[in-house]
Amino acid sequence: MKNLGQVVIQLVRYVLYAGVYVGLVSRLVLFEAGWCFLYLGFLLFLPLATPIVVQLLLAFGLGLTMDIFFDTNGLHAAAAVLLAFVRPWVLKLLTPRDGYDAQDSANIHQMGGQWFAVYLGLLVLVHHTAFFVLELGSFRHFGFTLTKILASFVFTSVALLIVQLLFFSQRQGRG
Amino acid sequence: MSNLLAFLYRFRGVLVFVLLEVFSLYLYITSNAYHRAAFFNSANAYAGQVLERRMQVLDYFSLADQNRRLLAENTLLRQQLAPPDTAGREADSVALPPLPGDSLRRIRYRRTAARPRPDTLLLARRPLPARNPAYPLVPARVVSQTNANVDNYLTLNVGIADGVEPGLGIVAAGGVVGRIKAVTAHYATATTLLHSKTTVSAKLRRDGTVGSLRWPGDDPTHALLDYIPRQNRLARGDTVVTSGYNAIFPDGLFIGIVDGFRKEADKNFWTVRVRLGVDFNRLTHVYVVRMPNKAERDTVEARAGLKPTPEEVAP
Repeated sequence: MKNLGQVVIQLVRYVLYAGVYVGLVSRLVLFEAGWCFLYLGFLLFLPLATPIVVQLLLAFGLGLTMDIFFDTNGLHAAAAVLLAFVRPWVLKLLTPRDGYDAQDSANIHQMGGQWFAVYLGLLVLVHHTAFFVLELGSFRHFGFTLTKILASFVFTSVALLIVQLLFFSQRQGRG
Repeated sequence: MSNLLAFLYRFRGVLVFVLLEVFSLYLYITSNAYHRAAFFNSANAYAGQVLERRMQVLDYFSLADQNRRLLAENTLLRQQLAPPDTAGREADSVALPPLPGDSLRRIRYRRTAARPRPDTLLLARRPLPARNPAYPLVPARVVSQTNANVDNYLTLNVGIADGVEPGLGIVAAGGVVGRIKAVTAHYATATTLLHSKTTVSAKLRRDGTVGSLRWPGDDPTHALLDYIPRQNRLARGDTVVTSGYNAIFPDGLFIGIVDGFRKEADKNFWTVRVRLGVDFNRLTHVYVVRMPNKAERDTVEARAGLKPTPEEVAP
């Protein structure tokens, strides 16, 4: 029963993140260089104990949804799957001294600002680098791509930080 | 056997990751293949509906701007409709010299045959027949679009039901927009000029030199015109139009104007920067054009070995 509840909650989160991104946030492009990949919040704020295979499949599904909407044919999916694959390693890297608790989640109030900043920064940077380099398919306009990566990195990180501060309570994380 | 299963289970993360990643990259890399299932793009019926709903909402925020531009376009069209009194006026009859045997030397009048003129729309600075049943002009609304990516697409709210097919050209009032890539019953996706694989055969209107227009991937207001020989004289402000060399766009549609050009040390051609006529950031209403006898022309070019397949993208 508890599992079923969890599945329903995650489904609602999936629809919310994808819907808000497609309907609203994807239109916000700063100076033709900064995108806000808000939908990454769905993957980043999944429970820490989510099985790796489930994470990968969710990332692929979410990425493919975005690909269908934005005609990118697997670009979003490739970057999102990479993100889901790297996430457990970043989590392992950031393990607190006494390990994770069973109810721990990627929540800024629970894990602390420093932990969260490194976690968010590393993963978003990996995703954006993969995304924009793949999108270009080469290293031609490297300076421009680098600008895109950095601008989008700042934009996405700030947006996800705001999501955390607004929707995640002190005690339990949902959002 | 159980060892194998244990092995697979132990490395399940890596295995699933490689599988999904390879699949996504396969989709991405083969995405420029011409014929693809229309499911994985926004011509898909469900995605199309969502995007159309989004457009309906977002339209409210740009109503003032859209009205202003439609007004400007209307003014232009009205000016076309009401030319100066003396321009383009045709006599309904012509005077003929008297017959040789007519002693009264009466001047004869003969009615000129009434030539029915088809309805035309002024698109990309060229009148195109609007109601010709052989190759109709399909008006469409842009439902969704991207401009700042390396490969940019449009989604239009017309599909097979409106007579739209993959490969047809798209023009707007301001100039050439792109080509249809995939269609479903009621939606179509198109590659715009701002796509790394799009090339359009173009020419300079002043001297007719033919080149090839492509987008280098950075600035959505400018494109590059290649293959203009170095001995050609160029001038800023030259008009660039379609060449009519392929069966996608009619001859002479406006693309843009020359904004700058320079010689590269190691090339035999000018590098010409063209300011595009279409403002891709505020594109709302476009028209799908069909060339007359496109199929026949493709067939003869394929038979002559100029094209590998009839639908191959010709530069």
